Amino acid sequence: MEHRWGMTIDLDRCTGCEACVVACHAENNLPFSTAEQAAKGRTAHWIRIDRYYEGEFPDIKVKYMPVLCQHCDDAPCEPVCPTYATYHNQEGLNVQVYNRCVGTFYCANNCPYTVRYFNWFEPEWPDPLQLQHNPDVEVRPAGVMEKCTFCVQRIKRVKEDAARMGRKVADGEVQPACVQSCPAEAMVFGDLNDPESKVSRLAKSGRSTRLLEDLGTKPKVFYLQKAK
Amino acid sequence: MYLIGEFREKEAAVAAIRMLKANGIGPAFMDLFSEEPVELPRGVLDRPTNMSLAGVCGAILFGVAATAFIWWAQNNYRLPTGGMPVFSFWATGVITYEMTMLGAIVAIFGWFLWESGLLRRRDKLAPVPVVNPGSLCLRVRCDGNAVSQADEAMRRAGAVDVQGRNGS
Amino acid sequence: MVNAPGPPSYHQIREDLFRPLSRVSRRYMLVALIAFVVGALGLVAWTFQLRRGMGVTGLQRPVFWGVYIVDFVFWIGLSHAGTLISAILRLTDAAWRKPVTRAAEAITVFALMIGGMFPIIHLGRAWLFYWLLPYPNSRLLWPNFRSPLLWDLTAIVTYVTGSLIYLYLPLIPDVAQLADAHTTPWRRKLYRLLSLGWTGSDREWHALERAMKLMACVILAVAVSVHTVVAWDFAMAIAPMWHSTIFGPYFVAGAIFSGIAALLLAMAIIRKVLGLEAYLTRYHFDRLSKLLLLMSLLWLYFTMAENLTVWYGNETGEMPVFGARTRGPYAPYFWTMIVLNWAIPFVLLGIRRLRSIATASVAAACVVIGMWIERFVIVVPTLANPRLPAASSFYAPTWIEIAITAATFAAMAMLYMVFAKLFPIIAVWEFRPHPQGEE
Repeated sequence: MEHRWGMTIDLDRCTGCEACVVACHAENNLPFSTAEQAAKGRTAHWIRIDRYYEGEFPDIKVKYMPVLCQHCDDAPCEPVCPTYATYHNQEGLNVQVYNRCVGTFYCANNCPYTVRYFNWFEPEWPDPLQLQHNPDVEVRPAGVMEKCTFCVQRIKRVKEDAARMGRKVADGEVQPACVQSCPAEAMVFGDLNDPESKVSRLAKSGRSTRLLEDLGTKPKVFYLQKAK
Repeated sequence: MYLIGEFREKEAAVAAIRMLKANGIGPAFMDLFSEEPVELPRGVLDRPTNMSLAGVCGAILFGVAATAFIWWAQNNYRLPTGGMPVFSFWATGVITYEMTMLGAIVAIFGWFLWESGLLRRRDKLAPVPVVNPGSLCLRVRCDGNAVSQADEAMRRAGAVDVQGRNGS
Repeated sequence: MVNAPGPPSYHQIREDLFRPLSRVSRRYMLVALIAFVVGALGLVAWTFQLRRGMGVTGLQRPVFWGVYIVDFVFWIGLSHAGTLISAILRLTDAAWRKPVTRAAEAITVFALMIGGMFPIIHLGRAWLFYWLLPYPNSRLLWPNFRSPLLWDLTAIVTYVTGSLIYLYLPLIPDVAQLADAHTTPWRRKLYRLLSLGWTGSDREWHALERAMKLMACVILAVAVSVHTVVAWDFAMAIAPMWHSTIFGPYFVAGAIFSGIAALLLAMAIIRKVLGLEAYLTRYHFDRLSKLLLLMSLLWLYFTMAENLTVWYGNETGEMPVFGARTRGPYAPYFWTMIVLNWAIPFVLLGIRRLRSIATASVAAACVVIGMWIERFVIVVPTLANPRLPAASSFYAPTWIEIAITAATFAAMAMLYMVFAKLFPIIAVWEFRPHPQGEE
């Protein structure tokens, strides 16, 4: 049976440390932004931590929510791309094909989670950061849309290794950079088609919710939190 | 042999056309030249046209062709997007509609060019009268005995001037 | 206020309407020069944008569509001038439209050409725009016909083709006359070519009138669909306050509204500049003003319906957008829009004593500006207030976007001015002098 990749994020464990953000930057050659560009809203964080404050001082509660591409099964970003630069592959991933992207921005406008990022300029890295690039991941040119890929390069490598060794992919073997780096082990990634996998069991638990579920996008990132 | 009669009044031209028809010269041999479109009473110089039919045919043709092309293209490289089916008529129905309209436009324009004779250059040798402001010119093609009959008919109807010209 | 002069003589008509074609006044050269400079600046700005990247604009996540899309919708909307006047009034046989049809059709064609540039200008990789066209390619892909952007493409291609033909058809008899009247050899050659050998025979007239009547029907159907499809670029998205069923009719009504305003303004300028007071009389402006007033009220109705429904529904996703529009950072634009689109035209055109050609022009200018702001108020606040509020932001255009926008106005002026020098702006053969009191 085909894989169907999904993720759970335990909001009760997330401390908002942003290790996942940094790991994603390193793994996926994300463009570097200066403070000036950040002020203009031009940073790209394929996974970002949204902070929400509840209550008034001194009873403030802060909630951290890591938001990344939800790889929706009924993704609103997909049908509106005129060049098929984003489409749904057989393993349930919402694939972004950089080489086909013409930059119409429609996908980003239609994404209710605002998880799509654009390359406003040719990416530059101050010396010696360009030496740190991941050779498995493309460096995107200006004018192209990008977003979280569930570290598709890692998925591919694991699948190739498993095929070469003549075995199946084990549960927990594929770890995107964010999942790997979380010190609180709040994120779990795996195959939703495998009912025994950790991610499937967590996704079916009573604490599991999804973001903006009523829009009918069928996201595959499940947020675990204490039901209030 | 072409006879060109100049008329100052629309009624005179109508009378002339009627008389010529009575003499056996059909509308196919007559052309009425003017600087503005002239509205003649029904039955005088009717030019039946199939332009509407051509428009509809063109519309249907383009519409069906466009939809068939989309069906083939979507199935040619089956990329699913957003949970939508590979081919859905309603998802691309707008394109069908637009192409239908484009078909109508192209057909109408093409038919116009054909029917008006602008492209076919119908009757290349026929002389084109220079129409004086406010006048109508009736050009009749006839041979032999009919010439004098037609000449007389036009003058009686009220032609200001009748000239004969050979095809040139 | 209705006061038509005695009909000009045949020779007078031809002299008046052909005269602008032969002279080029100093004022013309000055305006052309200014338009050229503004246009050149816009081209420089675009080149800069192509080389540096879209980052030179004010766009930022989550506002990925800004002034360029506003311009796009604005110009396509303006193009509905010709359709209404030519097609609808032609079909209802309203005689007062006659001096106005060619000017209106010209606005349509040029506005479409300009508007059609913006889907290319706003692209992140504009040099690859042709990937949206269906042709066999090495990517082994056809474009995604499900995308509203492809619907846009087909709609605009159809409309441009239709409008060009619709402009050209009634031009043929005039051009045939000009071919004889003109002494400049290049002009003679041009007119002769364009006239296709028109002789004025009844067969040709029949075919022409038949074609024009059929084209009027088809163009009407196309025009309604074109701006509906442009509206559906927004309505098909699930962004808050875009995903509205009213958008189709709303945009069409707005387009006709802005089109009439542009036409009225263009007519007022042509009348003054070309000295055509005898042909574009107060009667025509009176009619256009009443039409403009009617469309203003219709526009207000749609705007009210849209905003009231959203406010009453109190949906979580939509209320921040509504608040941003009416009370938040975009409130100045929103309320200015209401004043320009409704309040001023209502007063200037609704009160009979105030209605004149001058005040109608002022009202029309207000509407043109107001409708641009309306597009802005529709596009930007929705994007700036996405469903996940942590991603909210603000948008302000940079000089690049402003320069390119200005350049399109200059381009419109230039195209129109060139057109007016090549062809009579009033269709000579269609124009029958307007007797007093005729409907």
